[in-house]
Amino acid sequence: MGEADEHPGRRSFLRGIAGGVAGGVVAGGAAGYALHAPPPDPAADTAALEGRLPAVPFHGKHQPGIVQQQPQTAVVSFDTTAGNRAELTDLFKTITSRARFLTAGGTPPPVGIDGPSSDSGILGPTVVPDGLTVTLGVGPTLFDDRYGLASRLPAHLTPMRSFPNDDLDPAQCGGDLILQLSAGNTDAVLHALRDIARSTRGGMQINWRIDGFRGPARPAGTVPRNMLGFMDGILNPPMSEAKDLLWIQPGTAGEPEWAADGSYIVVRLIRMFVEFWDRVDVYEQQQMFGRDRATGFPLDADSLYAVPDYAADPTGAVIPINAHMRLANPRTPQTASSRIYRRAWNYDRGIDQVGDLDMGLIFTCFQQDIQRQFEAVQTRLIGEPLVDYISPFGGGYFLALPGVRDTADWYGRALLT
Amino acid sequence: MAMRKVSLLTIALLAATASLTACGGGGVSNTISLNNASCGGAWTLAKPGWHTFDLYNANSVGGEVDLIDPKTGGIYAEVDQLGPGTTQTMSLDVGSGRYAFRCLFEDTDPLTGRTVTVPGHVKGFAATAPVTYNDLLGPDKAYQAYVATGLRTLAGQAGTLDSDVQHGNLAAARRDWLTAHLTYETLGAAYDAFGNFDDEIDGRADALGVTNPKWTGFYRLEYGLWHGQPASELTPYANELAADVRSLQAAWPTMEIPLIDIGLRTHEILENALEFQLTGHDDYGSGTTLATTLANIQGTRELLSLLHPLLVTRYPGLPAVYTWLDRLQVLLEAEHQPDGTWVPVSQLSQSASQAIDAACGQVLEELAPIASIAEPRNA
Repeated sequence: MGEADEHPGRRSFLRGIAGGVAGGVVAGGAAGYALHAPPPDPAADTAALEGRLPAVPFHGKHQPGIVQQQPQTAVVSFDTTAGNRAELTDLFKTITSRARFLTAGGTPPPVGIDGPSSDSGILGPTVVPDGLTVTLGVGPTLFDDRYGLASRLPAHLTPMRSFPNDDLDPAQCGGDLILQLSAGNTDAVLHALRDIARSTRGGMQINWRIDGFRGPARPAGTVPRNMLGFMDGILNPPMSEAKDLLWIQPGTAGEPEWAADGSYIVVRLIRMFVEFWDRVDVYEQQQMFGRDRATGFPLDADSLYAVPDYAADPTGAVIPINAHMRLANPRTPQTASSRIYRRAWNYDRGIDQVGDLDMGLIFTCFQQDIQRQFEAVQTRLIGEPLVDYISPFGGGYFLALPGVRDTADWYGRALLT
Repeated sequence: MAMRKVSLLTIALLAATASLTACGGGGVSNTISLNNASCGGAWTLAKPGWHTFDLYNANSVGGEVDLIDPKTGGIYAEVDQLGPGTTQTMSLDVGSGRYAFRCLFEDTDPLTGRTVTVPGHVKGFAATAPVTYNDLLGPDKAYQAYVATGLRTLAGQAGTLDSDVQHGNLAAARRDWLTAHLTYETLGAAYDAFGNFDDEIDGRADALGVTNPKWTGFYRLEYGLWHGQPASELTPYANELAADVRSLQAAWPTMEIPLIDIGLRTHEILENALEFQLTGHDDYGSGTTLATTLANIQGTRELLSLLHPLLVTRYPGLPAVYTWLDRLQVLLEAEHQPDGTWVPVSQLSQSASQAIDAACGQVLEELAPIASIAEPRNA
């Protein structure tokens, strides 16, 4: 303990507080417990990458997984069990170190006769990145009295509010941390989850989790669909507006300086009553969304990405006034600043008490200000016709930390130092 | 002594001349051929750095292959089960030092191949001194004695419990049940350590169901004592438990503890606790699974203390084992109520339950390497 044994290949909670020595060796003559990672093997990596997504760079001003959306995901809420601020810091450093390795890939270090394998092996002998993105957010409860962070609470980080049509289960809400792991395949997602959990057992415990997927766009060239058969998240704000809608800007009034370049995450777990939905006429379904189910076109247009012209349809004769799409984004100057970056995945997890399928949507969105954006949108959606067919039951509000800039940086450095 | 096999000699001769290229860069593999006449042949190491060896068993029997420091006997890496005619890879960061392959084929004397010296002062993956069969004889004997002592105590406590039940004193029986059960749980009876005795003394209702008369032992009595069953119904089970404990006590001196189990149990006892006690699975009514976990910690500590002299020089993570055991123990003891009862797992606050589960999970991660390190190996 206390000696640097940090290495890109393995780092565990409270096992390298003095860390930072890449390829380091446990000093003091102790036997080969420090783990030496092999150098990259380009040939093996190329072979392993076939049919997989390329690596997404881990380091940057912003975290990965906010702009990109990989097809498979796990959304995992953790409560921290770290005993104090120093342990919390070590926890964040450990998650950083593991995320850095997992997103880059490589061969896990051998352990000789000194212990069990350092890797679960579920991706084979070489860990392929498969486009893995690791996105870490902090919840409002992290700022209670445990770690002395109360004065650093971000301006808009409140407990998730309940809307009139919600049926929230406290056991599936909130959390000190949210960890979103997304990749090209489920095995890469679960490999990352097992690796990070194994390295941090004493520091955090899973509170709730849900796995999600996006299907391919059908037909090709369109947008993946949700479990109601409709394309989901067709028109997001362009990245050119990220400064005004997505990233917390340095010097924003009320926001602590550490939060700059972060982004608020809203997670909403939404059950869809698909059996009921399938008993509804397609015409009525389309009226509820405002789009054509088959093509995804707005009901007033003949192309997928066309912007609906509500001014030309003031009475809702074509797209009803209470259609989901029209309420969510009325496309007026007054509502422009409430736009959000939607990132939704489908979930599918078994059956309910009456034998109906428990499937639905992991709605996530990113934004600069939860109240100005998500809550404004959701407030407009109160009572929309779609509420009969869906039931939000979990989720939470979090703040995606600023990006890990380089090999010396770590998650939450600005928050914790 | 062991029989030597002479088949596959041709392959062996070919193997002995296998060409070995430098492997300082990434991912260059070297085939090392092994047989009962030559363990590695004329292999060489050009320079330090990352190496991957393809170990080919040219013998007709399976065996183990170690890469050792022939001067100290320290082991850099091992391949445990190398089947005849098969190849497995062994990778490590080679530093300055001495390296030799050692072949341990079935029915064959150990054979150590040529020593290759890498000059200079480059730090590589360090060799670990193997724990030998001899090293473990003392701890094994001490553990045997520890259990024998515990069983003597347990026999008395099971007798008291039996007497309570027979006399219809069920309040006393509930108290004495806990005392006796915790004694049993300190003995480290994880994973069939006591063979069939464990099923009889501490078996779960799982496969049988709680109404099956074949279900006996502590948990059967717990179920009855905390579900209002009358003394008359429980007396046969109390008799039987006392008898089974006496039988185990009598049999114990003849039961062997495999040397490999000493290291394995250091984490298996608490693996069981996490699976059955901290989940509340084994709570048949008394709500004392946290106390059971504490007893399991005591058993784990006993094994650790027996292995301590072997581990202290070999396992840098050993202090962390104790740090987390201590933390887990404090968290569990906090759930012991002033009136002597224990908070059932199902009634723990979420934060208490998360803290306990996290500490137990971390203890298990810290304990896990000990099974490999304390596995008995050839000197």
